[in-house]
Amino acid sequence: MLTKLAMTGFKNRWRDYLVLFSGLIMSSAIFYMFEALATNQSFLKENTGIGLVGIIFQFGSVLLTIITLVYIGYANSFLLSMRKRDYGLFMLVGARKGKIGQLIWLETLLVGIVATLAGILFGTLLTMGISQLLISSLGLTLHHLAAWYFPAALKTLLLYVGLFLLAGLFNLIALTKTPALKLLHSNDQPNRPQLKPVWQGIQIIGGTLLIAVGYWSMANLDKLQMLGIAIALVTIVMGTYFLFNAIFVGLIVWLKHFAIAHRGLNNFTLSQLSFRIHNYTKILSIVALLFALALGAITTGMGFHRQVPMMANASNAYDLALVNPTKTEQNQIKALKPKTQTNYHFKVAKKAVYYQASEFNTHPFTTLNMHGKNQLAFKAVTNSAKQLQKSQYSYQLGQLQTNGNQMKAAVFLTPSAYQKLAQPEKTLTVFATKDVTANLPAIKRLVKTAAKHDASYKVATNLGGRYGAYLQINSMYSGLQFMGFFLGVAFLAMLASCLMFKILSGAAADQHRYQMLDKLGTTQRQLTGAIRKEIAVLFILPGIVGVIHVLFGLQMFKFLMVTSPYTGIWLPFLIFAGLYLIYYLITVKIYQRIVLQ
Amino acid sequence: MPNTPIMTVADLHKTYGKAGSKQYEALKGIDFTVNEGEFVGIMGASGSGKTTLLNMLATLDQPTSGEVTIHRQPITHLKGNQLADFRAKEIGFIFQDFNLLETMTAYENIALPLTLQNVAMKRIKPAVENVARQLGIAEFLTNYPNELSGGQKQRVAAARALINQPAMLFGDEPTGALDSSSARELLDLFSKINREQAVSILLVTHDPFSASYCQRILFIKDGRIGQELKRGDLPRKDFYQQILDTLGTFEQ
Repeated sequence: MLTKLAMTGFKNRWRDYLVLFSGLIMSSAIFYMFEALATNQSFLKENTGIGLVGIIFQFGSVLLTIITLVYIGYANSFLLSMRKRDYGLFMLVGARKGKIGQLIWLETLLVGIVATLAGILFGTLLTMGISQLLISSLGLTLHHLAAWYFPAALKTLLLYVGLFLLAGLFNLIALTKTPALKLLHSNDQPNRPQLKPVWQGIQIIGGTLLIAVGYWSMANLDKLQMLGIAIALVTIVMGTYFLFNAIFVGLIVWLKHFAIAHRGLNNFTLSQLSFRIHNYTKILSIVALLFALALGAITTGMGFHRQVPMMANASNAYDLALVNPTKTEQNQIKALKPKTQTNYHFKVAKKAVYYQASEFNTHPFTTLNMHGKNQLAFKAVTNSAKQLQKSQYSYQLGQLQTNGNQMKAAVFLTPSAYQKLAQPEKTLTVFATKDVTANLPAIKRLVKTAAKHDASYKVATNLGGRYGAYLQINSMYSGLQFMGFFLGVAFLAMLASCLMFKILSGAAADQHRYQMLDKLGTTQRQLTGAIRKEIAVLFILPGIVGVIHVLFGLQMFKFLMVTSPYTGIWLPFLIFAGLYLIYYLITVKIYQRIVLQ
Repeated sequence: MPNTPIMTVADLHKTYGKAGSKQYEALKGIDFTVNEGEFVGIMGASGSGKTTLLNMLATLDQPTSGEVTIHRQPITHLKGNQLADFRAKEIGFIFQDFNLLETMTAYENIALPLTLQNVAMKRIKPAVENVARQLGIAEFLTNYPNELSGGQKQRVAAARALINQPAMLFGDEPTGALDSSSARELLDLFSKINREQAVSILLVTHDPFSASYCQRILFIKDGRIGQELKRGDLPRKDFYQQILDTLGTFEQ
């Protein structure tokens, strides 16, 4: 009978359960997505070649577990608040505590398992979809990527079911220890925002110190290695929470002193925020961290993506070189409208490649001479035969050769000396287009044609010039790019579901407040404005903290990236701000629809 | 000054349900006026249509036909901002369940109608303190609603309804959730406000004791005004007895 009663309660509140389920499914799906990469050792090894990446992933996994812990605790209290009245009612009609406890336990666990299984399935589909999208749009090459990865699924299931077992136990104690009448009226709790200056001072100082330590250890990751990530993780999570906790209450009390706070519905909005302050500080710290993770991941992924053509361009002055190109190949080169194109004749001996000095004097060979510590800063220098012989960058000519001639010394001969050599003469055609990345498909076709008569062109490492460098660097960085974008999307989705969950779970309670305001004579514009402002605060605060975290967190990638991780960060920031804004507008719309009907 | 109508209600109808489907007529033509400074009660059993009527008068619902005029302004077709402005400036409302915002202090609740009109902070403060003193809640202004008793909450609600000096004050069973001594205090307060500040009050109730504070009572039955009772110079106790007698025969 009680089970039947519990089921009717379930049916009556399917909307609330929908919010709960979608939140939990999203959360477990994203956890699975992350684990599918993080626990897949062969994927990490194949695609990054950087040992530290695996460790970073492990710490990321710990962080996500902490976030999940808070998230589930939060979802659970939502579930509990939803059921309190029903269970109170059961107690009033004389249900035994043991029976009720059984029901609570069962319900919590059932919700958890169903949501987690659905989440793993959804996560597999998401992983498949997102990786396909990224691979095709970024032109990546990846190995050992599996959308369905059993260890990840197992880990997700174990963590979630374990957490729900704990949550069920907590609910059991919380509900059966509370008198029935109190359960019936649990919504009328007191809510005076309390200012405890000493405790808040301690929290501000402690939080700032913790965050400073975290930033410092991220910047000195090369010395601290694994320990640095561990320190940063713990200190930043705790520091963010303390700071939000201490500043938020104070901020609202302080804002109420201003005249602007007493215009229109501003005071109402501030009161709304202070009313649910404790829920908000937790959710805001989590959102700030997720914001930082998402933005950081996308910025890093973009950094690597941008770096590939830069590094390719810095490797050689020419896009590609072909030995003895056929008529068709020459036509294909012509169709590319090369900026420069030169033919050098040469003869190959055992230890050297012989060129005619005169050809180099009339058509100088361009080398890229590095300057400064940064590998990407170069000066293009045109070399006559004599200059090239002396230049330390003459290897750039060698790179353009094929068939094992790359490492042989280049010797520049007078016409008479050249004539005396008995070896057959070949032609090396070098060319450079305006932008190698813009001509990738056409060059690919050209290489394919050339590979028909010279098999060595089939292997990317045999291809000299920018095109070959692009292929090699891209395959080296593909894993890193992919992880950056993939995790960025995953964290953004997690952030979205967190905030959405928070806001929708509060909407039902807000409904009667907005109705009351309507009866008091509030214009529709004032009401929508109040909603926009309240939600804007919830978006902007973690956004600011998240941006600061990212700016310091990028220090970690100094040693992974050739360029500074800060170059061009405005682009990912702008893209992210756009996504965040769209997400804000959607949330406001949904909230208004619920509250203002 | 006496007998100037502040509110006129003319041939008010309200039908629920769409045309074609099963319809229910809750109000079947209501006519009456309330004069400036009058304290009028509306009585009736559950389902008689008194709450429907109040919702129309207080602009919370729209009648099917008929017209309501408050302070020389027809209100049945007000929409959007006009409607909001009218609610904020011309009428005050006291509900059975207080309808205070539990996220705000008593002071902030009372000040809300003024802040909605963007009144300057230095004008809000004396206004709130003034009305709070009149209603005897000056010492509770910093408390949150859940820290107040039912009677205190209802006085805060009354203060909020009175702060913008409305033309009409509506009460929907304002004593319904109060104990008898709190109810008596609140009704005394209404009489005092009505007497001293000439605020017109319309009270909807099914409680004869609350109704005995009114000067005139309209009895509603099945969507029509069935009877009208005037207090005149009768002492409140005798008027109470008269109401009881009327109810006894009226509901038969």
